[in-house]
Amino acid sequence: MMAVAAFVSLFALLILGTALAAVMDRAAVALASGRPMGAALKEPARRAAALLLRQKVETERPDSITWPLAPVAYLMLAAVGLSVVPFAPGVVVTDISTGIVLWGACEALTVIVVFLHGWSANAPMALIGGYRYVGIGLPVLLLSMFVLIAAALPAESLSVVEIVRAQEAGLWNVVRQPPGLALFLILGLMLTLRGPFDYADAEDLAGGTKAEASGPHRLAWRVARLAMLVSFSAMAATAFLGGYLGPVLPGPLWLVLKTVAVMAAVIAAGHMLARLPPSRMLTTVWVVLLPLSFLVLVLVGVELLLWP
Amino acid sequence: MAVTAADVLFWLLALCAGVSGWRVFATDSMVRASFLLLLSFLSVAGIMLLLAAPYIGIATVFMMAVEMMVMALFMVMFMMNPAGLNPMMMVHQHKLAIGAGVLAFLGLTAAILLTDLPSDPVPADRAVVHDLGIELLGDSMLVFETAGVTLLATMIGAVVLSSRRGRYGDADTGSRPPGLEPGGDPAGREPEEGGGGHHHHHH
Repeated sequence: MMAVAAFVSLFALLILGTALAAVMDRAAVALASGRPMGAALKEPARRAAALLLRQKVETERPDSITWPLAPVAYLMLAAVGLSVVPFAPGVVVTDISTGIVLWGACEALTVIVVFLHGWSANAPMALIGGYRYVGIGLPVLLLSMFVLIAAALPAESLSVVEIVRAQEAGLWNVVRQPPGLALFLILGLMLTLRGPFDYADAEDLAGGTKAEASGPHRLAWRVARLAMLVSFSAMAATAFLGGYLGPVLPGPLWLVLKTVAVMAAVIAAGHMLARLPPSRMLTTVWVVLLPLSFLVLVLVGVELLLWP
Repeated sequence: MAVTAADVLFWLLALCAGVSGWRVFATDSMVRASFLLLLSFLSVAGIMLLLAAPYIGIATVFMMAVEMMVMALFMVMFMMNPAGLNPMMMVHQHKLAIGAGVLAFLGLTAAILLTDLPSDPVPADRAVVHDLGIELLGDSMLVFETAGVTLLATMIGAVVLSSRRGRYGDADTGSRPPGLEPGGDPAGREPEEGGGGHHHHHH
């Protein structure tokens, strides 16, 4: 019974969350540019319908396996990543003792999927996007692992269920380690190819890895990016904001509210922050952000030693 | 003996690991070879999960994904094959390679057949991840830390040795395109001061 509830919750959150993310994304653009907000409700559906009907464009000798599979794999990784998030006590699809590591594996495979999407088109802009993304994506990945281990330290467990339980017994991780959440949001920008970390699909490369994608393929890629945003936001809400914990309202509703809040933060950051040139960003990530994430881990460790 | 779902999964994963491992040497692209090897490792990781090793299994997925991505990137960077798009032979020294391969296969097969492998199901309530942590940071700490630091030093050394000679001369003397005529102004734009990182070019 619990397993059925968990599966239904996962797909409901993923599908409805993706639709909401699409609307929020358009609404953010409308808000920033002063256009009427009403169009944001209909525009994603209209764009999706247009993409579905548009013809498919073939590049010269694409990799016939990875080119069509990349959007599918991206979407699957979003679903697998979300599967470790508990929706309520006992309602979780993948209840394993190493949930955080499984999420980390999904992060790493996402970098590969985005790279392969850029590489397999056999076209220059997409290829540059893919390689550029890997250079930035890999150190951000390392950063996120330090931050996640810090979030798991108070629970003394790699299980996401235990991490929520530890936040129930003690403080939410966002109170204990606020820089951790800020650093983790950077991972969100990287995983969903957004704003300051959009080195893969950026407009300066005419769309980067998706430059050659058209019709249903392009739609699938967009949907997968939004689904990954939902998956990431639910994970951030669970690891740092207490997941389903909260007063008065039922647990799953709290998780949804927090997920939407994180989603809004990532979408806003994606639209409002500027992107650095890749070489400068690479130096920033390795020299500033990565040591900072290690410092967070050390501080959390010291804190737990002093006040267990 | 009844065939369980775990048996079927094991054989499927083993088949996938073997076939993708063989395809690594049959493909003509560095990127394809890297990710076929990753597919082989992912199958092995699945087998580890079947063996009730949740940490090692999933950590294998994570580590191998990162490593194969880094490997593909570095291979393409250091081989003079633009962006890894040109077809190239992924095997060399054929006779030696075949000999070494056959010998390794025979040796490993003999080791598997001659060893009395334990059949020791792990109890469901055993805290395997906890036990592994105690082992890694307890009795085996010296071994793992030595191996880890050695590997790290090797990686840094390899990058330092291979990256010194750049396209426009040694990396530590500043990266500056050659002149259009001998001793003349550099072709193209000079890197701006501090823009590309740590290079200081001569004026």
